[in-house]
Amino acid sequence: GSSSVGRYLLCEINVSDKSQLLLLDDRAVATAVKAAVARTHGDYGLALCTIRFSVKYLNTHTGIVLLRFPKRCYKLLWSALPFITSITTRGHNIPCFLNCLHVGGTIRTCQKFLIRYNTQQLHRMLPKCKNEEEKQQIREAILDCSLEDGTKEAFEEESESEEDEEE
Amino acid sequence: MSFRLLTGRTPAPSRLCGPTLVYVCIGGIMSVFMDLNVLFSPDRNRLRGVIETAAHLGFSTIAINYVFEPSSKKKQEVPVPCPISELIDQLPVVQGRSRPIRVLNRLTVLMSDSSHFRPSAPEYRRFDLLAVHPTTEKLFHAACMLYDTDIICISVTEKLPFIFKRAPINGAVERGVVFEVSYSAAIRDATMRRYTIANAVCLMDSCKGKNVILSSAAEKALELRGPYDITNLGLLFGLSDGDAKEAVSSTCRAVLLHAETRRTASGIVYTSRIQQEALQDSDCRFRLT
Repeated sequence: GSSSVGRYLLCEINVSDKSQLLLLDDRAVATAVKAAVARTHGDYGLALCTIRFSVKYLNTHTGIVLLRFPKRCYKLLWSALPFITSITTRGHNIPCFLNCLHVGGTIRTCQKFLIRYNTQQLHRMLPKCKNEEEKQQIREAILDCSLEDGTKEAFEEESESEEDEEE
Repeated sequence: MSFRLLTGRTPAPSRLCGPTLVYVCIGGIMSVFMDLNVLFSPDRNRLRGVIETAAHLGFSTIAINYVFEPSSKKKQEVPVPCPISELIDQLPVVQGRSRPIRVLNRLTVLMSDSSHFRPSAPEYRRFDLLAVHPTTEKLFHAACMLYDTDIICISVTEKLPFIFKRAPINGAVERGVVFEVSYSAAIRDATMRRYTIANAVCLMDSCKGKNVILSSAAEKALELRGPYDITNLGLLFGLSDGDAKEAVSSTCRAVLLHAETRRTASGIVYTSRIQQEALQDSDCRFRLT
């Protein structure tokens, strides 16, 4: 059916205090998304969310999260995301907002984008390094990006179970 | 072949009267995103945080907005904009580009009377951009047809006291004046969300989604949103995909050019060929009036 075709939104959770990201988990993010959808689009929106919306991946160090929406209504659900102003988790209320980096038809395209984005972020950090040692660490991390680490593994785990639907 | 728009005065008397804009189409390379309404705050750290977040989100240009509400009762001073160099030492580089973010100063005059807007006042010239926020139908009409302004703000925090008529809207469009819808009020509060959507949809009905800019009116970094998210938000405001994207990119650029022309009182516009590399992120369109 058409609800098995998905859209993957790669987002970055922006906070004022990065250490707060570590408190997050997929359920907290999913709850925040559904609450925003309910506030913005009411029962209709919330009903759409029960058709295969899920948080596919969350990295609490970088704040990167991958959301899956059904293709038919992803734009409507996406339009609720800017209304997220905080995420509640383990009793903490973390002020934040979501920044959508990329929309893809498959997890793989989002993964490819993420590697490029991570590389870009590392390049942006280079001028801020205080010494040669820090610079060298970042340069090595940039080289590693193409062979990547936990990010790639986490994505691969998921893509085995998920049907990779192409357009 | 590339062109660059220059404004300047000619030594000889000109055959053209008043500000002139020239319609030039340059092959665009990438979209340049702008947020032309970031509220000024005397808290320097807070403002710096906003500038850094805006650069991180990929905005190439932002404008610090000083809102001035004159009252007939007592004489008020037009605010003096803080020089950008005093606000922040080093402007952060824009995400995905190699250039630092550009920060402009903007004045918004909140008007309840026609005497409130004095565009020839020297204090206004300190600002790069000029906006008016009319609060009555009469002032809205005057702003669209006559006022020498770059932006007309649409109320988002209250029910619109009047409806938009085609004639003044078209009048503004012909003069290159744009309408602005700010989104942060809608994010802060559910009632404001309804007003924003209602007023925006009303506007789009009359202006067909053209000549509109979407901006934050953010008071702090966490009230900003990324350009793709704002484009998607535009759908809720009655904009098509293409129109919503223009509302955060090319229309904003047109506003800057309108402002440049306006500031050169009897500006004459001419074009000259310049090197390709200087136009790395140019995608300009102007209109001949």
